[in-house]
Amino acid sequence: MDVIKTQGVTKVYNPDKIPVNALNGVDINIEEGEFTAIVGPSGSGKTTLLNIIGGLDRPSDGEVFVGGQDISELSDNQLIDFRKDYIGFVFQAYNLIPVLTAKENVEFVMLLQKRSKEERDQRVKELMDSVGLLDKMDSRPAQLSGGQQQRVAVARALAPKPTFILADEPTANLDSKSTENLLDIMARLNKDENMTFVFSTHDQRVIDRARRVVTLVDGKISQDERRD
Amino acid sequence: MIPILAWRNLWRNPTRTLVLIGAIALGVWAALFMTGFATGMIKSYISNAIDQVVSHIQIHHPDFAEDQDVKFMLENPEQAATEIAQRADVKAVTVRTLATGMISSAKGARGIKVKGIDPAQESVLTGLDQRIVDGTYLEGKRKNEILISRAIAEKLKVRVRSKLVLNMQDLQGEITPAAFRVVGIFHTGNKPFDEGHVFVARKDLNRLLTLTSEGAVDPADLGHEIAMLLEDTKNLLAVQSAISKPEWQVENYKEISPDLELYESQMEFVSTIYLSIIMLALTFGIINTMLMAVLERLRELGMLMGIGMNKLKIFLMIMLEAVFLGAVAAPIGLGLGMLTIYFLGQHGLDLSMYSDSLEMYGMSPVVYFDVPAKVYWQIPIFVACTAILAALYPAYKAIKLKPVEAIRKI
Repeated sequence: MDVIKTQGVTKVYNPDKIPVNALNGVDINIEEGEFTAIVGPSGSGKTTLLNIIGGLDRPSDGEVFVGGQDISELSDNQLIDFRKDYIGFVFQAYNLIPVLTAKENVEFVMLLQKRSKEERDQRVKELMDSVGLLDKMDSRPAQLSGGQQQRVAVARALAPKPTFILADEPTANLDSKSTENLLDIMARLNKDENMTFVFSTHDQRVIDRARRVVTLVDGKISQDERRD
Repeated sequence: MIPILAWRNLWRNPTRTLVLIGAIALGVWAALFMTGFATGMIKSYISNAIDQVVSHIQIHHPDFAEDQDVKFMLENPEQAATEIAQRADVKAVTVRTLATGMISSAKGARGIKVKGIDPAQESVLTGLDQRIVDGTYLEGKRKNEILISRAIAEKLKVRVRSKLVLNMQDLQGEITPAAFRVVGIFHTGNKPFDEGHVFVARKDLNRLLTLTSEGAVDPADLGHEIAMLLEDTKNLLAVQSAISKPEWQVENYKEISPDLELYESQMEFVSTIYLSIIMLALTFGIINTMLMAVLERLRELGMLMGIGMNKLKIFLMIMLEAVFLGAVAAPIGLGLGMLTIYFLGQHGLDLSMYSDSLEMYGMSPVVYFDVPAKVYWQIPIFVACTAILAALYPAYKAIKLKPVEAIRKI
């Protein structure tokens, strides 16, 4: 079953001034449970593709289906609700809320979803345990290492029980040990919970662990390699 | 979670937040201080005017106010005053005889209003006996005693026991000269009043004004003014209405002296004016700080929208941050202000160095601060409105962000 499907997606920045074609007709299907890395040189359109798939940006042309729903038709507010319930994000710079503890950061999206306190408490505990940070529940982001922050970000992305997780260069700011640790966690979640992961990355260590590698060059898919 | 997030956001930059809280608290304190000072001065002016000049209610002959001729006297003023004094809502009553004339010494002369008073009643009504700074109050030991102010004593170069000559028009229109001996010098702190009035015993003045009337008027029953103080000014209009007679002109202090009504009405607005000005200035400070707080976390706001926090919640979060700012600052300012007002209300602010100027306007050199009770609940409302208004623009900027652009910001 396709979790994500794009058809002829193009993205042109500054169409009225100096047009920049970030994506040129990208067609991609990502199935449930895939562990996909989107790779390519800088400026190839990786982040743009992720933003469009995640509903953070709109395509200039083409269609984006997430779980069968055409998200390019949704209004801004509908998109926000859609992201809240269906998509988990892991950002390159972690982007945790600095004034909240690790536990509160993970709990935050569930509060937006109006989940009960019991459900939130249980899920936060499970997720913090699964990323190995049960003892850091009450620490604020500034008290955590980069690797620990990114693991909290993964827990936060998983908290709303999304359909898939988008991770934009998730290991870019991490050392080798933290990167391995993070990849182990994500691979385990992918295997045990059949969670779909889509990364944009330059990192060979991530590419080596991916089961599908989609290479973008100049806004087009130049190679789509499955390693199953 | 949004209130918690807003509260913690407030303390991301504690120095900046504390500076702004200090500014708002100082503004609230300043508004209270200025209101207390202005209200204290206005009350002092009104109180001095009522105590020394107009009382709460005055009764005159209907034509007296126009040209203040001695012939426009009241009928049976003593009996009327006795009846009025029996009312429970009336604190003190006195009958006065009023004349206009010239007072002169060997060194000079000036126009003057002569008040013929019953010394005992006058001391209850105006506390004139408490304002004697040299000599004694009118004791009635001998005829033609006079109280003059320090200002007149200086101008006419006289002192206690000096002789002065008063020239007045009597009931027949004849000029009546009479010699008076200064027994006391008073100082009320109201310069215009002090420079324009002298006090003599009413029986002495009545005798002089009826000298040529050949018994047509009983000197004991001559009076131009009945003045009274009430127990409570809430009953002002009721008492005024109850004692009115067709042959009298009964006026309350607001009608006698419209400036008092003007000042009284100003007391209602003075706090609103001060608060508005100070809060308007603070609005820009809050806008600036809130805008900085929004602009420096654009990426975070974009991330919040990215993970599903809708625009309404973002908007509410920014607004709450501003409301919390006011909620912390206002009580601090109110507390400091209340302490200041309490202290200066008890001990007063001594402005003796400006006493000459203040006395020119009938104000006391010591200002006792007073703030109407309603101001204490007006202030939190003003601060809350200011904070909300000031946060509108930063909150609008926040919800106009595009998540993808905001996340890209460094």
